[in-house]
Amino acid sequence: MKVLPWELRKLAAQQRVRLLFLVCVVGPPLLAVVLRAQGGLPKDTLFGRHVHDSGFALPLLVLGFAGTWAFPLLTSLVAGDIFASEDSQGTWQAILTRSRSRGEVFTGKVVAAALAALALLAVTALSSLLAGLIATGHQPLIGLSGTQLAPSRAVTVVLLSWAAAAPPLLAFTGLACLFSVISRSPVVGVGAPVVLGLLMQLLSLLGGLGQSVNALPTTAFSAWRGLVRDDSYVGPLWQGVLVSAVWAVASIAVARVVLLRRDIT
Amino acid sequence: MTDSSAVLAIRAQGLQKAYGDVPALDGLDLEVARGTVHGLLGPNGAGKTTFLRSLLGLVRLDGGDLQIEGTVGGFVEAPGAYPYLTGRQNLDLLAGLDDVPGDVGEALARVGLADRSATKVAGWSLGMRQRLGIAAALMRQPDVLVLDEPANGLDPSGARALRELIRELAASGLTVLLCSHDLSEVEATCQDISVVVAGRRVWSGTVVDLRGRSDRAVLSTSDDAAAGAHAPAGVAVEPRRGGGLTVQASTVQLDDYVLRLAAHGIAVRSLVHEALTLEQAFLDLAS
Repeated sequence: MKVLPWELRKLAAQQRVRLLFLVCVVGPPLLAVVLRAQGGLPKDTLFGRHVHDSGFALPLLVLGFAGTWAFPLLTSLVAGDIFASEDSQGTWQAILTRSRSRGEVFTGKVVAAALAALALLAVTALSSLLAGLIATGHQPLIGLSGTQLAPSRAVTVVLLSWAAAAPPLLAFTGLACLFSVISRSPVVGVGAPVVLGLLMQLLSLLGGLGQSVNALPTTAFSAWRGLVRDDSYVGPLWQGVLVSAVWAVASIAVARVVLLRRDIT
Repeated sequence: MTDSSAVLAIRAQGLQKAYGDVPALDGLDLEVARGTVHGLLGPNGAGKTTFLRSLLGLVRLDGGDLQIEGTVGGFVEAPGAYPYLTGRQNLDLLAGLDDVPGDVGEALARVGLADRSATKVAGWSLGMRQRLGIAAALMRQPDVLVLDEPANGLDPSGARALRELIRELAASGLTVLLCSHDLSEVEATCQDISVVVAGRRVWSGTVVDLRGRSDRAVLSTSDDAAAGAHAPAGVAVEPRRGGGLTVQASTVQLDDYVLRLAAHGIAVRSLVHEALTLEQAFLDLAS
């Protein structure tokens, strides 16, 4: 597999990607500093009211916020550009005249986009957790069922909650790859999944979709809430994994067919 | 056509390709002999670029048979590069995609970019990018090198160095297929030429043969005024300033004309076939 390290080297050399990782590292501590300086609490957000009571509340506050729109943007900034940038830079012919097949190039790029998305998620999770613990401390966390979760349980719950965002994040990675391949435009590749994510959120908020709302990958971004309870439940989590897998596989399959069949002009 | 005894590097037969309803290749037949520099000429929209893309595996042909001896490298239109990387990093990255990575330093030196390879490509001129594209292609040591307007953006000394490089490459056994609108570049570099119009090959042969397609000759006789009066039908004769006649006729008509002149007691002192410029020959075929 030569394409994966090749693509990762290319991503690592891009200032935009480095900046993205920097934002993920610096963003949560900055939020912690701002919240501490303000003194007030973002009470209308999930776990916002507990930010000054437990260091475990901050990563969950960030997770709840990011699941609304930041995650689709986070992955789109890498995956939405990963194919389309070869069109805009005119580099397809340089790549496809080497020893690797189109199929290998496609697989390498998709895996690189997925790894980048997971790395961004992990970095943001760890940064949020550390920022919360340093700013507030490791006091027990009041869960969504109203009972206290001991620090040892709280840290596991926080990490699992962040891990639960991985499947829908990868679904959006697949969508971003699809838009990147089809549009051949970095702007569309990055923007379309974000707009689609916002539309899905809007549809969920407006209601009327009934059970169909569970078929949206954005719904899976909320599945972690079942974990932050004394009486935790994982039904939505598994449902989210299944739904996300369907979106990701379908998007990637269509993108692969399009890339393998298209003319590079 | 290419000499039938020559070993072919490229054999294209009946290539078909359309973009929607617009045909780009309409039964293109083309042969390129191994170890030669073959020029591909044609007006805009003739299908040259589509043919080059098909050689590089960038477009899917709708029909026909395309056989290539060995590996193909090169670029069509402008070669792409990653602007946020240096020239050397670009080549290092591409070498990572090859089964047998080529020598980056050697490739850079060969195209005269060794001194500039540590700077980011974002600030490079078109000519430098062209040379980087050639270096990228050479690194893989292809058997066939496809170059589309390679002298674009090159200064005169760069263009001359490129011509020398192409000759060197051909001498080392590499087959070069060169597509260019710069006919002087083609004339100076290529042994064979194919002219493509509307997706079909309309002519193939050597540069000398192409220029020799002229039906014009300069005639000098013992009595030019009388010779002009005895021109048979279909033969255009014009007096030349400074003496002699310009005759436009087919070979058969010209033979007939010369015999007529002899029959009328007019001596033919010289008859010189007037070679076309490559531009005239090309325009004649393209129209």
